[in-house]
Amino acid sequence: MSNTPSTPDVENASLEDRLYTVKYEDPGESHLDVQVVGFCVERCTTDDCVDVCPADVWRKDEDGEPVIAYENCLECGSCRFACPYNNVVWEYPENGSGVTYQYG
Amino acid sequence: MTTDTTEQTDAGGGIAADRTVSDPDYDDAFDAVVVGAGLAGSAAALTMASASLDVLVVERGTSPGAKNVFGGVLYTPTIRELVDVEDAPLERYVGEKRFGVLTEDDETAVSIQPGAWRDDPHNDSYTVLRGDFDEWFAEQAVEAGATLVTETTVTGLLRDDDGTVVGVETDRPDGTLRAPMVVLAEGGNSLVSEGADLKERPERGDVAVAVKEVLEFPDADDAIEQRFRLTGDGGAAYHYFGDGAVGDAFGGAFIYTNDDTLSVGLAYRIDDAVTTQPNPAETLDHFKSHPAVAPLVRGGRTVEYAAKTIPEGGAEAVPDLVHDGAVVVGDAAGLVLNNGVHLEGTNMAVESGYYAGLAVADAVASGRTKAHALADYPRSLESSFVVKNLEHYEWLLNAVEDDRDLLFSELPRAVADAGAEYFRVDHAPKHDHAANAKSRLFETVGGWRGAAKLAWRYRKVIS
Ligand SMILES: Cc1cc2nc3c(=O)[nH]c(=O)nc-3n(C[C@H](O)[C@H](O)[C@H](O)COP(=O)(O)OP(=O)(O)OC[C@H]3O[C@@H](n4cnc5c(N)ncnc54)[C@H](O)[C@@H]3O)c2cc1C
Ligand code: SF4
Ligand code: SF4
Repeated sequence: MSNTPSTPDVENASLEDRLYTVKYEDPGESHLDVQVVGFCVERCTTDDCVDVCPADVWRKDEDGEPVIAYENCLECGSCRFACPYNNVVWEYPENGSGVTYQYG
Repeated sequence: MTTDTTEQTDAGGGIAADRTVSDPDYDDAFDAVVVGAGLAGSAAALTMASASLDVLVVERGTSPGAKNVFGGVLYTPTIRELVDVEDAPLERYVGEKRFGVLTEDDETAVSIQPGAWRDDPHNDSYTVLRGDFDEWFAEQAVEAGATLVTETTVTGLLRDDDGTVVGVETDRPDGTLRAPMVVLAEGGNSLVSEGADLKERPERGDVAVAVKEVLEFPDADDAIEQRFRLTGDGGAAYHYFGDGAVGDAFGGAFIYTNDDTLSVGLAYRIDDAVTTQPNPAETLDHFKSHPAVAPLVRGGRTVEYAAKTIPEGGAEAVPDLVHDGAVVVGDAAGLVLNNGVHLEGTNMAVESGYYAGLAVADAVASGRTKAHALADYPRSLESSFVVKNLEHYEWLLNAVEDDRDLLFSELPRAVADAGAEYFRVDHAPKHDHAANAKSRLFETVGGWRGAAKLAWRYRKVIS
């Protein structure tokens, strides 16, 4: 018997490395926004957009305002469904820009 | 054949000769505009073009498939009738299906490998990568006469005075395009259909967030064959449930074998994603590190990370499929079966695109494009497997919701314990172990009566 651990280590890529695998063309401006910033700051205590996002696009600054790293976005649409206040403004990046999956 | 709007007057369908590249005027050059070149859109386009309609397919990606993500296993019963799947970019046929229930550190699994799956047509189940497959499938529609424009997003619908849909707006300069019929095949994030009030935005309890990685094994050429015991073109579809897969969320995880990559991912309800469950990327890390999963994926290099949503509201969540001048197909219409054992959307997308295409062709031929002239589409769909399956499993969503703790946490734990007890190798007689195993299970489900109730409630999952 050897003493190798019984569960092999799986080296999971960091989110940054993961996002790096996706071909991306910057549309130049954010295709994501919020309707009313006040909702995010005053009403929203759960930050559901932040919790659901698989690409760490949504963060909130210390004033509770959302900061949107739109260039990480994988265009899944989850934040649009997740926000309980229907406060996410979501458009497709123009003319095919944004992500291009090679495998899918 | 992928063309851009600015250079596509010679591409396929019937654009009149007096329209030039510099002055494109496609108004009413087409009988139908299809929004989205996914599976549903290309199936509809192919069907309509084969019925001699002039069809324009508008796709937002740089090529069909560029924006698409799935597990996954493509189910081909209807595709086979439309195109020659032998030529399609298929990865492997599914020769084994495996269902594993994971607790934090145990696995209890069932594997199915019917001999018939090894023979043509392989139970019509193949792993594919959508980047390749969707592009190929759209090409088949183009070969049948449809015109495809890419890198163009439909941003809204045009309506005439009485509200009939009469074309689309796009994000191209002078991007409006009039046509008698519009087929909405835009997938689950259906901004156009919602924006035009053809459907409501689904509740977040009816939508799952999904993440997926494609893994390569640069240091071990035969890793996939070895680990999944594959020969030839045979492949495997592994499905996982329970705490070790997606925590206490409602959903599941998967591993599918492609030709020389693995597709590894998971999906769970957005309702759960916003509460206790760690975010999707961390949930994926956790799943891949499970003791029963790690040996299958270790050493894999991530060549792509992707995310998508799955509409899973079942039959109750399907919106009106026909409108004056428009039809809704595939994921845009919520036509996905996701009940734990089955995750099927590809066959329903193709089936709905096909029936919608037939109905639109008939309607256009008779010059009538109001909803009632399109009624053959929902009628055909209702008598096909698509709606039957959705309705057949409607009860399950509700039952699972009521029993979720039992099903996803307590029962897997008990099954694993019982399994360990049943096969325990020590000095006690086998029948003692069997008795212990049985009582461990019974304790969890509530004795004979509880077991009988559960069995009755879930009897239809596999029927
Ligand atoms: C993680 C995951 C795993 C899955 N696994 C399986 C599986 O193993 N087996 C199975 O059968 N099903 C599976 N499914 C479901 C299956 O993928 C879908 O049901 C199927 O892809 C639906 O096809 P569709 O053509 O309706 O939509 P989509 O494939 O989403 O296609 C929509 C198309 O429309 C385009 N589009 C969208 N909006 C616009 C616009 N405004 N303008 C222009 N173009 C637009 C998109 O770019 C895309 O090409 C899975 C889904 C997910 C997310
Ligand atoms: S969930 Fe909605 S309201 Fe809350 S921070 Fe996000 S966008 Fe704002
Ligand atoms: S669409 Fe998906 S990836 Fe993009 S911001 Fe929303 S949740 Fe994140």
